[in-house]
Amino acid sequence: MRKFVKPARAASAAEGKSAGHQGESEKESAGLLKENHSLSPDLQTNLTQVKEILEGCSDIIYRQFLFAQREDIRVALIYTDGLVDEKQLSDQIMRTLALDAPVAVAGAEITKARAYHLIKERCLCVHQVKETGRLEEVIEAVLSGDAALLVDGHPCAILNGVRGWESRKITEPETEMMVRGPRESFVETLRTNTALIRRKIKNPELKIESMKLGRVTKTDIAVVYIKGIADDKLVEEVKKRLLRIDIDGVLESGYIEELIEDNPRSLFPQVNHTERPERLAARLMEGRVAILVDGTPFVLTVPCSFFEYLHASEDYYERYPIATASRLIRFLAMFLSLMAPSFYVAIVTFHQEMLPTALLLSLASQRETVPFPVFVEALAMEVSFEILREAGLRLPRQVGQAVSIVGALIIGEAAVRAGLVAPATVIVVALTGISSFIFFYSASIATRLLRFPLMILSATMGLFGLIMGVMGIVVHLCTLRSFGMPYLSPVIPMSSGDLKDLIVRAPWWAMDARPRLIGWKKLQRQEPGQKPAPPETGPGGKGGGGSAGRG
Amino acid sequence: MSKKAACLLLIILPLALLGGCWSRHEMNELAIVLGAGVDRTPDNNIRITLQLARPSAFAGGTEAGGGAAPKQNITWVISETGSTVYEAERNLALKVSRHIYWGHDVILVIGEEMAREGVRKISNFFMRYPRTRETIWVLVSKGKAEKLLESHSELEKTSAQSVGFLVRNRAGLSVMLKDFQMALASRGTNPAAPRVELQKLGGPQGPGMEEKLQHEEVAITGTGVFKEDRLVGWLDTSETRGLLWLRGEVRKGGIIIPSPGQPDKLLSLSIVRGKTRVEPEYDGETVRFNVSISFEVDLLEQQSTEDLTTPEKIKAVEMAAAEDVFRRCSDALEKAQGEYGTDIFNFGEAFHRKHKKEWKELKYRWNEEFAKAEVNIAVEAQLRRSGLLTRRASLHLE
Repeated sequence: MRKFVKPARAASAAEGKSAGHQGESEKESAGLLKENHSLSPDLQTNLTQVKEILEGCSDIIYRQFLFAQREDIRVALIYTDGLVDEKQLSDQIMRTLALDAPVAVAGAEITKARAYHLIKERCLCVHQVKETGRLEEVIEAVLSGDAALLVDGHPCAILNGVRGWESRKITEPETEMMVRGPRESFVETLRTNTALIRRKIKNPELKIESMKLGRVTKTDIAVVYIKGIADDKLVEEVKKRLLRIDIDGVLESGYIEELIEDNPRSLFPQVNHTERPERLAARLMEGRVAILVDGTPFVLTVPCSFFEYLHASEDYYERYPIATASRLIRFLAMFLSLMAPSFYVAIVTFHQEMLPTALLLSLASQRETVPFPVFVEALAMEVSFEILREAGLRLPRQVGQAVSIVGALIIGEAAVRAGLVAPATVIVVALTGISSFIFFYSASIATRLLRFPLMILSATMGLFGLIMGVMGIVVHLCTLRSFGMPYLSPVIPMSSGDLKDLIVRAPWWAMDARPRLIGWKKLQRQEPGQKPAPPETGPGGKGGGGSAGRG
Repeated sequence: MSKKAACLLLIILPLALLGGCWSRHEMNELAIVLGAGVDRTPDNNIRITLQLARPSAFAGGTEAGGGAAPKQNITWVISETGSTVYEAERNLALKVSRHIYWGHDVILVIGEEMAREGVRKISNFFMRYPRTRETIWVLVSKGKAEKLLESHSELEKTSAQSVGFLVRNRAGLSVMLKDFQMALASRGTNPAAPRVELQKLGGPQGPGMEEKLQHEEVAITGTGVFKEDRLVGWLDTSETRGLLWLRGEVRKGGIIIPSPGQPDKLLSLSIVRGKTRVEPEYDGETVRFNVSISFEVDLLEQQSTEDLTTPEKIKAVEMAAAEDVFRRCSDALEKAQGEYGTDIFNFGEAFHRKHKKEWKELKYRWNEEFAKAEVNIAVEAQLRRSGLLTRRASLHLE
């Protein structure tokens, strides 16, 4: 099935590439503005035009006043209420233009003809200004939070960057918890997010390329990568796939994710995301590319491998033995969350001889009163767990306590006491449920969904069915790719050098190379041979040469 | 989705539903067999007895309640007769509401009468039947097997499990069904199986139970010796040790000998490891076996006060230990050769391995040849550790 899709996609990609900027401008003209307008020298004409376009937008403010109290030089400010820093606007633009201008121009003659030049060069105390002669750019800037300054007699506008709106503070990440590590997370404002990245990587090679996506929303998107580490082809591919997108709105990075995936039908996510700046920085330094979307703290990173979901950034901050141990736990939890209930169902209904006699007798006594087959029992418990989980996610915080009590009581206690459910089943389902939270949420969705078909397979064919199902999943995983990188790398295909950061997290002094499949362009991460050692205190007095305190 | 994929799905989906379920048994549809016994009825039929678990009585966890709960019958023992084992089992199926599940059967007890008549009649079923395991322990009961299965255990949950653990500890002979069947199929050896019988053992005692309660529990009391497939006699526990030495199956155990300097006091030695080598010889007339047994012991208990660390004393202890083993071996051998005329020591297999051509003639009358065979037993013991608690401190002063 996929075979038919691929060539078609490639064709459309090629089309997009050849179209290039032309395609972009087409997109814009397809938006609100129908024609290509230039500004006219007459202020009133310009204002009328703008007002016509922004008709019915009550949050737009048009402020006309006189430049340097000269009746003949009228200027107008257009801005969106709420998106600009009002204090800056009134103090540094209106005040200087209207009152302080004579001082500012310092003797230069103020004429209508020179007004525009004087304003731009001498009067504006704004850190970011831009000039434009095009109406649609003015409109776009105003709606993005800039203040547009129109001067009578000049067919140009000055766009003042006085953006400032209410936004969330940088808080602790809510989805990626850890004990040791930075306590900051991305926020909804793109600029803040790029600043957070820049604060981690103070390097000219960190590139942040912007574009706008969404016909209606015109959302700012930034492609972030480190030039020289990231593969240029990968960066090109990311940009190509982003340019292909023609959607009316991008409200979350999930929109983008779905539109750039390699296999859109797979249950497994092929684009990773994070809300931790330092985690993103680490991925960038591995040679990955990030896609920032304005309006969401979740930043996409590509390419991604399945095993990334089983890693946590804390693995790199805590010492390596404990990191390795917790990775083992996570791998175990992944298998449990995928297979525990189906394994239980298979053993209990087909392979009782595999249980130790004492366990069999104990299970048999528990199941004596249960009126349903173990498959139905396990399925019902799994479904009710999913209901509880979903309820816990959606309910208002105030009633959370009630739901968890009711859930725990009804499912844990009452059902067992009533003999409707065997305690062993409750244990298995609870273990499964908890296991599925231990690793990355997006990936746990896949295992959570696949759990049910696996249960059906093991209820009909026992362990045979279960193994068939698991083999199917593995085969599927082998076919997946994320931006060209095999999804199961570095295991399939085997890249032995990268195994030091798979289940085992090797100490930093042993990880001299970047992951080979993504960071091949600049493979060496650090100077080798940095293993700390006690200082040599030989007779030659060379002490301190190999000191441990190197870093 | 394309038509092709839909068709494929339509084919695969029913396949998944049709393919399975045939061996699916919910746990509460199972009658779990823990022990099985086979007896012979007076009218020459086969009577099998099953010890089934009653899951509802196996209340686990907190629901059992504290204190001395009334003892419930944890097993259900049921018997049925038939002309073959399978017929008897099918007849049982008419009485038992659940699927008779053999997967967890621990023991197979053969009643004395059945064993004397010949076990080939019944053992075949347990090998062929796919649901029984070949690893179940085979036992011969003194008296009826049914009685044994009806008993219950104080320590374990069921008597079958209790016997299973007893055999698994390998204090005596332990024979799995597959070994038993192999011995039965071989001409070079004859089967032997542990003998079990009911013995009065101390019952539970505690506060409020002044009277000495006694009840019958299953105990291993020796070995049943077979000739071909018929039970011909017994070995007692001491002779069973000899049998194990000659078979090379001793893994642990103790040897009690008199202290060399003070013969009224005793020493206990524990066996660390033992090795048996059997070398057959044949000159065309007499079959000769040279058996060399060597083992190592640790001194475990000493009633006497003498110093056992001197080389002479060590030698003496080793001699005594070797003598004890030699006596047991020759006792067992004497009985097997003289009284029963059956090779239960796997000597025939050893002969077969060494003299392949001659074996072809001898194999049809092996038991007679074995009875005539000359067996030389050489035992060598080594005392490894005599421990540090050898002498009393006062001995220095004397």
